[in-house]
Amino acid sequence: MSEFLNNIKNQFEKFCGENPSNDIVNDFRIKSFENFNNLGLPTTKDEDWRFTNLNEFYKNQYSIPPTKKEFNKNLISNSISDLDAHFIYLYNGKLVENDNIDNVVIKSLSSFLNEADLNTFNRFVDNHSVKNRDFTFELNSAFINDGVFIDVNEKAVIDKPIVLINYFDSSTSFSSYRNLINFNTLSSGQVVEYTFSDRDINFFSNKTTSFFLGDSTNVEHLSIDESSYHSYIFSNLKISQTNDSNFTTDSILIGGKIYRNNVHPVLNGQGSNSNILGLYLSKENQHMDNYMFVEHVEPNCGSRQLYKGLLKDSSKGVFHGRILVHNEAQKTDAKQTNRNLLLSDKAQVDTKPQLEIYADDVKCTHGATTGQIDKEALYYLRARGINLEDAKLIMIRSFTEELLEFINSNFILELHKKIVEEWFLNSDLAKTD
Amino acid sequence: MLEIVDLHAKIEDKEILKGLSLKINEGEVHSIMGPNGSGKSTLASILAGKEDYDITDGDILFNGESILEMAPEERAQEGIFLAFQYPIEIPGVTNSYFLREALNSIRKSKGENPLKPVEFVKIAKEKIKNLKMDESLLNRSLNEGFSGGEKKRNEILQMSILDPCMSILDETDSGLDIDALQIVANGVNSHRSPDKSFLVITHYQRLLNYIVPDFVHVLVGGKIVKSGDKSLALELESKGYSWLES
Ligand SMILES: Nc1ncnc2c1ncn2[C@@H]1O[C@H](COP(=O)(O)OP(=O)(O)OP(=O)(O)O)[C@@H](O)[C@H]1O
Ligand SMILES: [Mg+2]
Repeated sequence: MSEFLNNIKNQFEKFCGENPSNDIVNDFRIKSFENFNNLGLPTTKDEDWRFTNLNEFYKNQYSIPPTKKEFNKNLISNSISDLDAHFIYLYNGKLVENDNIDNVVIKSLSSFLNEADLNTFNRFVDNHSVKNRDFTFELNSAFINDGVFIDVNEKAVIDKPIVLINYFDSSTSFSSYRNLINFNTLSSGQVVEYTFSDRDINFFSNKTTSFFLGDSTNVEHLSIDESSYHSYIFSNLKISQTNDSNFTTDSILIGGKIYRNNVHPVLNGQGSNSNILGLYLSKENQHMDNYMFVEHVEPNCGSRQLYKGLLKDSSKGVFHGRILVHNEAQKTDAKQTNRNLLLSDKAQVDTKPQLEIYADDVKCTHGATTGQIDKEALYYLRARGINLEDAKLIMIRSFTEELLEFINSNFILELHKKIVEEWFLNSDLAKTD
Repeated sequence: MLEIVDLHAKIEDKEILKGLSLKINEGEVHSIMGPNGSGKSTLASILAGKEDYDITDGDILFNGESILEMAPEERAQEGIFLAFQYPIEIPGVTNSYFLREALNSIRKSKGENPLKPVEFVKIAKEKIKNLKMDESLLNRSLNEGFSGGEKKRNEILQMSILDPCMSILDETDSGLDIDALQIVANGVNSHRSPDKSFLVITHYQRLLNYIVPDFVHVLVGGKIVKSGDKSLALELESKGYSWLES
């Protein structure tokens, strides 16, 4: 662990030297790095990391990859490149190319940071709820430079979905990047983040995507991560919602050796609503840790978490579902559901709900289930002539498809289905026991 | 068509069938009656291929060949159909999707082309009309929230769509109201033909007024203790089973 920390410290010094910025940014980096140092690296003794052992991760030495200009787009899966969408390309976290979109300003995060005055900086970078900042987030702040800033004009309705493609190709690299996506009042749109990498490379990705939803905005988000099965992925999704905004996020976790998926919506405007959906598809020795933190600050908001895990082989899943209802947040309606389907006797899931409610007039429910494919149901399907493999697939599909009910955008729905079916095809589901 | 020879079966070391023999020829309707727990559903499940049982002795021949080693789906593809006493609810799988998958699996096993959704819906709608079922049941999750009677009718709908040659009905009449009983019986009768056979498990002679059996057997303690024609059912109705238990 100390070697890991030393290495990170060296990388930080190198990073600051190579990416000088203005005082606001420089001070912020240093402050955040101190915060990171004060927090230290977590072990399973930390309540929030109880089920995720990072020891094998700490044995690695990662370094910041050299800047590269453009990547071979033929590497992008057809399911993505054929989409009718606006594309933005990131390479190891750096913005390299983007389509122009009417009513949307797109720039690299580093140019955003260079231009930002203190107000703007605070609003988009240094304004995150202090209730949930783990080492990954502090580290992401310390290394703030790469990523993209997207600003959607007031009242704009984006004609086509925005697809952010992020490609990693450097083994032993450490990529830290932040995407800031701002929807101004009355605007709406769909944003897809698609992340993939070269096969089998071991890299360390530490990403934060922050959404800012103005009054009466309507945004749907889908995140798909198909990175190498040998990578370590730490992802923070932060959402800040003001009055009457509607947000739906859907995550499909496929890649990573260890995947930590932090999702943190903050409902700080009355009448706003958040749907937090996710599907973790794990196999072999993958470990997928979903840490949800839904924060209700203002009254009359709703949140609906539905996370589903489909676990094969010896893979492990974690679902930690926190809901924090502040004392002003009366009439909160928060619902949390976690369901897991184990496709092997060796697969395992740990689920932990954590409700902290300080208002008295709220509706807050949670529930979790973990089980295997129902044997009686399988027999029933087979007794009607459906082959065992097909019967299993029918049961698995019926399990995952519950999520689709909460997706409004047809584009996201179809893409979600396609990616999941591809995983089914690649995962030899028939050979489960 | 179906020949059960000296069948002995155990579940979790408990012997349930203790030397059961029965022969059903093409076009025949056999009925099995017997007290609760005598092994009727066990027999039905074993015929359909449920894997929880140990067959310790005997054999089941279907069209002259042993089916003991066959998976449930293979038996269904060969034309064996079991209408469950307790149909399973499967949330998230629509009735029509399930039925189409089932029918297409059976068609595929026979080398026939799969039906397209529109072709299938046409067939399903016609059959559902005959059974006076609500069309909306096709788009609902399989058996989920179906009333007891709807579940039983749904079993008969499956039978009429999958068109098996050996149908085993396990207490399909239980829980049906008087009209539904008649509708279900009509469904079964319209399926009757010289090359199709039935094994009808029931507690009530009433059903046999509608579906008239060629033979009635009494199953007690895992064995057939008496066989006769349809008048045996009437006799059982008045005398009960005690005179047969010994
Ligand atoms: N999984 C099991 N483990 C132990 N005993 C079982 C199991 N399944 C069935 N049995 C027993 O086998 C016997 C026969 O059951 P079966 O369901 O075949 O009876 P049945 O004749 O269909 O009765 P009913 O008329 O009530 O439907 C019963 O005593 C039952 O308790
Ligand atoms: Mg029974």
